Amino acid sequence: MNVLSRSGRGPDTAHRAVSGRLVAYLLIRVTGVLLAVLVLGHFTVTHITTDVARTGPAFVGRRWHSALWVTWDWLMLAAVLAHAGCGLWVVVEDYVTGPIARRRAHALLVTVTCVLMIVGSVVVADVVLG
Amino acid sequence: MTCAQGVFLAGLALILLAVGAFGAVMLRAAARSDGGAYPTRSLFWRLVRSPAERTEYHRWAFYLHRLTGVLVFGFLALHLSDVALYSFGPSAYANVHRLYGTAVLRVFECGLLFAILFHTLNGLRLILVDLADLGVLGARRLLEAVALLTAVLGIAGSTIILGPVIS
Repeated sequence: MNVLSRSGRGPDTAHRAVSGRLVAYLLIRVTGVLLAVLVLGHFTVTHITTDVARTGPAFVGRRWHSALWVTWDWLMLAAVLAHAGCGLWVVVEDYVTGPIARRRAHALLVTVTCVLMIVGSVVVADVVLG
Repeated sequence: MTCAQGVFLAGLALILLAVGAFGAVMLRAAARSDGGAYPTRSLFWRLVRSPAERTEYHRWAFYLHRLTGVLVFGFLALHLSDVALYSFGPSAYANVHRLYGTAVLRVFECGLLFAILFHTLNGLRLILVDLADLGVLGARRLLEAVALLTAVLGIAGSTIILGPVIS
């Protein structure tokens, strides 16, 4: 991608866009390696080793009694939202061209990501605190 | 069907629609700036080139990577809301969760498995391409391995997921 021509006029804006892309690049890859283990592990446990019909409330209750799975699930949520947030940030930059529309799309993305993180963390906190 | 189950299914339909719309936007942008939309008649002639020249495979992998990423993110948002029902009591969660065992949702779960497998393996491939500086041919061989592994693991997992429906 031609970063410099797409991202504004002054050297400052261009520089910020490049360093923004660098942060996104690194964060996507670091969380990606983590998610390769966490998500495939999660899918294996909930669909392959246990049939999905047997993953009802009793299964969830049993699983969330273990600190390992609570940590696993919350870490997976945080990593997934960082990963998807960075990925979609770049996607917005590629397809939303107008500066105002792009800023709105980015604001919407940040809002949705934050709401999902808060909802997920509240559920986890609810489980941990009983 | 209960109200919560209806909301869940509507959410799922909305996600699939959004993924389709995103695919359309992506392909239109691709036709404009990434060298033309495929498949066209000229694709037929492009296939006789030597494998090393067929670099558009990487581009297709890129589109598929984005599309599967959007699908998985959409499902994550839906899945997070049905898990959140657990905080409102086991029965509220069980009510919506029952849908996951139905034949329609199991088929969706197989698609989700294929999407996750491709996105994961292709993502690891992209890291390897950068870190090991693999070059075009090495990257393409890895892409073939990604496609093969996705197919094998996806089919194996799908037979397990669809097991109760088939029998």
